[in-house]
Amino acid sequence: MSLTSGPFRNLFAVACLFIWQCGCSDFESSFVYSDRTLSLISEAQNGIRTKEASLPGVKQSIDERFGTPQNLKAWLKLPVDFGGSAATVASAADATSVVLGFGEEAVVPEKLELIQFVSGDCAGQVASVKSWDVATATATLTSALPSVPAAGDAIVTGSGEILKSGRGLYQRHCSHCHGTSGDGNGPTAQYLYPRPRDYRHGIFKFTTTNDQSKASREDLKRLLKQGIPGTYMPSFLLLSDQDIHTLVEYVRFLAMRGEFERRLVNELSGDFSVKAVQGRVKSGENRADIVKELGEFLKTDFPEAVTTTGDGLAEAWTAADTEEAKVIPSIARIPDSPESRRKGRELYLSKALNCADCHGIYGQGNGPQTTIYEKNPLTNELYPEPGLHDVWDNVNQPRNLTYGIYRGGRRPLDLFSRIHAGIKGSRMPSFKNVPHEDIWHIVNYILSLPFEVEPGATGNAPQTPPATASVTQ
Amino acid sequence: MKKFWALFFLFWPLVALYVCWIARDRNWWFPGEAMTAMGERIEGLFYLILGIVTVVFIGTQIALGYVLWKGATNSPDRKATFSHGSHSLELIWTIVPAFVLLFIALYQMDVWAEYRVQTFYPEETKSGPVAELMARQFEWRVRYPAPGKQMTDEPSPDDLYWVNEMHVPTGRPVKFNLRTQDVQHAFFSPQLRLKQDAVAGLIIPVWFEIPEAGEYDIVCAELCGWGHYKMRAKIVAESEASLKAYFETLKQDQEEDGVSAETAEAEAE
Repeated sequence: MSLTSGPFRNLFAVACLFIWQCGCSDFESSFVYSDRTLSLISEAQNGIRTKEASLPGVKQSIDERFGTPQNLKAWLKLPVDFGGSAATVASAADATSVVLGFGEEAVVPEKLELIQFVSGDCAGQVASVKSWDVATATATLTSALPSVPAAGDAIVTGSGEILKSGRGLYQRHCSHCHGTSGDGNGPTAQYLYPRPRDYRHGIFKFTTTNDQSKASREDLKRLLKQGIPGTYMPSFLLLSDQDIHTLVEYVRFLAMRGEFERRLVNELSGDFSVKAVQGRVKSGENRADIVKELGEFLKTDFPEAVTTTGDGLAEAWTAADTEEAKVIPSIARIPDSPESRRKGRELYLSKALNCADCHGIYGQGNGPQTTIYEKNPLTNELYPEPGLHDVWDNVNQPRNLTYGIYRGGRRPLDLFSRIHAGIKGSRMPSFKNVPHEDIWHIVNYILSLPFEVEPGATGNAPQTPPATASVTQ
Repeated sequence: MKKFWALFFLFWPLVALYVCWIARDRNWWFPGEAMTAMGERIEGLFYLILGIVTVVFIGTQIALGYVLWKGATNSPDRKATFSHGSHSLELIWTIVPAFVLLFIALYQMDVWAEYRVQTFYPEETKSGPVAELMARQFEWRVRYPAPGKQMTDEPSPDDLYWVNEMHVPTGRPVKFNLRTQDVQHAFFSPQLRLKQDAVAGLIIPVWFEIPEAGEYDIVCAELCGWGHYKMRAKIVAESEASLKAYFETLKQDQEEDGVSAETAEAEAE
């Protein structure tokens, strides 16, 4: 009785058809919106459409500037290397020939294949280049533009190659933990402790920049290359430098998107979250009036907030790569010695610094702060478990310093930065007002902790060794 | 129809033999040449066993083919023969394979001993390991002793650390300690023909001698979790001088305090 005979025949045909139809469909991945965005009333999320105007809400404002994973958008204001450079139209002979002007610092590209028009009559057009003359910066286009571009129109060269290849690399190497949107909630994230980083606060813990600055590109590159020991973040040393640069840019792109979303929602959540509106309705306001108020806000104040937020992001992330943002000790490391370590231990136990409060008397990460119950500053409700919590609402376990595992790096500079700038996003505060030589004493003490003969031995006064051995050999 | 199936089942073993024949030169068995002398010996063992097995394969497939063909060409009225087995046949096909296996076991003892038994390791490796490779999900953490010092099982304050890249000297036998921080992993270097499971709680010394400077792959060969497929690293084999310079750089980077390097540069100018 074979598959193609008798009663099986029809079933077989149907089965084949079915399998063919439900093969791999076109899977569209999408960026998620944060929980806080989704806690706004729907008009704030989706905007208000009236006969007079279409007022974009939070979601549209984000999508317009960052796009979707399939259709990424490069917001040129942001300091991300999208691949390609920004330039202007110097002059256009006709609709097929354009002379480009690059800024003083910009490098004129050797090869040019694509021009995207950003402003002017041709805004939104993507033109492919038939021939490119580097000397005169003249591009001859394969097909005519709908209108002749004017001098001063802004263009972007290329089609965001770095962003696109970053998306591919990120999907392969990072998204299964960090999630498509960089929300730290990929498919494997639920099995990991500590959880993978949620980039959307724009905060990275292990940096060498000061406490007010964002992570620099160098910091992120270091993290990718060396991994984070003691966590599930592996080293990507075997990726090429170009790949690492691409990934760093894409991660910054995701971080800026998340932060942009967060700040926009902050503008609205006070008055227009579901909870807030419920409260207002309860105290007598009319919901229709609230929506009208929202409409006013979206028309007048919100666009300004969008611009200011974008500017703020651009400024903060650009500043992170400057020398001023770095933690630079004013003196070289004080050489390691028993005296320095003892001084470090004194400072560790001192009332002013009070390291033992979190890290415990012997540096085992079991100080009294680990048992308190504290409130979530955003919701003002108690966290379900005791202990300190970080900005991502995870339990923030103070480091057990006796293990010798230094997540942010074991160089003296790294430990100095941890103390001086604190660990951003976590409850390790910044001790930037502590004299730098004191910080070096503490660094020496910490580096010696894994090798203490017994807990607390560093703090004890040096013992005079007995004149003779107590046990005969 | 029966003849078709008989020929069908005779055809594929022929394909298998052909593939086996052409595989060696196309690097289907191994990625390129073995890069160590021990690797060549292990490869030799592989081909020896392959050869023995191929002979057995040909024998059994001929027997199978004969049986199939006879069955296909027998007339339909032939009556079945009832057999109670053949004692001598049973003896032959137990004793002969036993001897073959015994031969293989004894033949490879030398290689196995030199490869795996510490007392047979080369003399030069007895002075101590050059590095400790700690496998963890999903990377390879390397720990070196400070230049000029002996490696200790427990970390020393002046040890040097790196990740996913182990630098070793060329031209002499070296050994490293293989450990794992969490689950079982396996150190596998295809070009060196070297494989060793990393077992939690054990410190396993692994030795090799790489004559040619270059980079060699390390891949994890024990399913260790969702990142097993990308748990890769590399061995960088270089001359003693080059290695010394590397450790200098590593030491300097590990002692980076944000100030001294710049001061030294400024003074040099």
